[in-house]
Amino acid sequence: MGRYSKQYSSIYPVIIVMLVIVMLVSMRYGAVDLSLDEMYSGMQHMFVPADQTPLAERIFMEIRLPRAILCAIVGAGLAVGGALMQALFRNPIVEPGLVGTSSGAAFGASLYFVIGAAFKYNGGEWTLPLAACAGGIISTALVFVLSQSKHDGKSSIVGLLLTGIAINALFLSGVGFLAYTARDSQARSITFWTLGTLSGANWHSVLIVGISTLLCIAVALRYTKHLNALMIGEEEAQYMGINIRKLKLRILLVNVVMVAISTSFTGVIGFVGLIVPHFLRMLKGSDNRFLIIGSALMGALVLSVADIAARMLLRPAELPLGVVTSIIGVPVFIILLRKKNYYF
Amino acid sequence: MKSPLLFILPIILFAGCNRFSNKDEEKNHPKRIISISKQYSEFIFALGAQQNLVAVDISSTYPEAVKKLKTVGYHRALSIESILANKPDLILEDGPESMGPEHVVRQLENLKIPMMSFEIKASNIDSTKLLLNEMGAYFKKEKAADSLGKKLDADMKTALEKAKTYKDKPRVLIIHYGQANNVFFIINNKTGAGNMVKWAGGDMIQAPKGVRQLSAEVVAKSNPDVIILTDFGYDKLGSAEKIGELPGVSSTSAFKNKRVYRFEEHDLLYLGPRTGENVLKLQQLIHRNGQI
Repeated sequence: MGRYSKQYSSIYPVIIVMLVIVMLVSMRYGAVDLSLDEMYSGMQHMFVPADQTPLAERIFMEIRLPRAILCAIVGAGLAVGGALMQALFRNPIVEPGLVGTSSGAAFGASLYFVIGAAFKYNGGEWTLPLAACAGGIISTALVFVLSQSKHDGKSSIVGLLLTGIAINALFLSGVGFLAYTARDSQARSITFWTLGTLSGANWHSVLIVGISTLLCIAVALRYTKHLNALMIGEEEAQYMGINIRKLKLRILLVNVVMVAISTSFTGVIGFVGLIVPHFLRMLKGSDNRFLIIGSALMGALVLSVADIAARMLLRPAELPLGVVTSIIGVPVFIILLRKKNYYF
Repeated sequence: MKSPLLFILPIILFAGCNRFSNKDEEKNHPKRIISISKQYSEFIFALGAQQNLVAVDISSTYPEAVKKLKTVGYHRALSIESILANKPDLILEDGPESMGPEHVVRQLENLKIPMMSFEIKASNIDSTKLLLNEMGAYFKKEKAADSLGKKLDADMKTALEKAKTYKDKPRVLIIHYGQANNVFFIINNKTGAGNMVKWAGGDMIQAPKGVRQLSAEVVAKSNPDVIILTDFGYDKLGSAEKIGELPGVSSTSAFKNKRVYRFEEHDLLYLGPRTGENVLKLQQLIHRNGQI
């Protein structure tokens, strides 16, 4: 294990430096290009009322900066979510988008958009993330329970993926149905997020997604040794005194909460959780103690690059981010599926 | 000694304010306007006030010259970056319902970019003229507004008088086809189009509220005398034969009698300075110049 820690410690600084550069680029360029001076003075005028600062500074503070930060956080969350699920299912090709979490969250969120206003009691600013969480928990639980075989209670890879497809289809058609019955402006908001976009980033979403994601990653880091034990085998982990049921439940909950809250603000962004941990494993091994942190950093980097592509390819119009990640992610997924003998 | 001063002081203050505010308005009159309402875009061009218009939404398609301006996306699917790229100092929008997505509206509010809609909504001829006057006053084109209003009145008068001379009222169905995945929408009689058909001396087929996706059976059952396709769908299909292939259309008497026509969606749904002209145009189509 010590060998891995050394390897990973050499890769962290590289990813961090790259992440900082990519985030700077992402904040600078868009339909309007900002200069470094404008970005700097925007930071200085942080507490000056917005109508007293030049437009370029406002763009930086209100649009670009929150977007870049949200992008990094969401990328980190999705990648860690993928790494956790892969460790939990002991299977390298699961990720939140494939086992129904994201589509369930999108369904919960669109339900809120269409009928949320009808409820008298709600959680204020947290209503949307809570609704998304509820949807994500229900759909993931459904996939988890339904994919277990009748004989031994284990879920096979194929069973899991197929159940995931079915549940995804179910919840996405639920989203489609809601979009159909909704008023035009609601329907637009719903379509926005089945494709995934960061264009709605603001400080409010940065705060909520930031708090929940960082907490969830912190919790996940406490279980990395247990997850390592689980990778050897369920029985072996039990001999080591680990309560498998409890561990599975906790990791799954952390994961669903993290992914669902991101999804409620950004929509369904697929395949980040698949590519990032896999790439890191190829590079540096699969010790979860380091893989989780590595995935968080690398996920932030990958999603930031994807977001730049989403904004720049058709500028000044914008591609949905989910489209970009799918274009890159689907081939990787297919290649992984075809590698029959793949193991950790 | 005191009372005259008390009397004069407010007047001086008021006059002073007024002068300042005038000067202020002169200086701050927007130089870079984005219109995300196709109706406003048309009005602005009609008034000749387009010199400060820098961009429009993608549905602003009249007049031809508007297409030379930059676009910022569909008015309900705006992109914040493309709006900002035009460095607007005013965004004209016609109500929160027609502007979206919500997060872009919120971002524009956070950026303190002024957004405005005119008070009057053009829902009939009188309010259309009032809107012309309101916009005319805003852009200091009162004269143009006045003459546009007069022309609108005159055209409407001709159209309504002519409508009275027709004995029968053809039953009209308006199909808005193809903009969303080849499904077709029936436009109902409570929209601007309903008024247009009524003024033109026709009878518009009832449909549920607004613009709705309906089944082909409704089209067949309603059996209209005239079918009008909006420009986008008509051009996409290309010919009357192709339109007959739409489910439900071929069995209608409109199709059998070759009375399937094209009309600009914009001109049907929104009232504006050319509404009188458009009613006359529609009249010629649905009454086939008086022949049945």
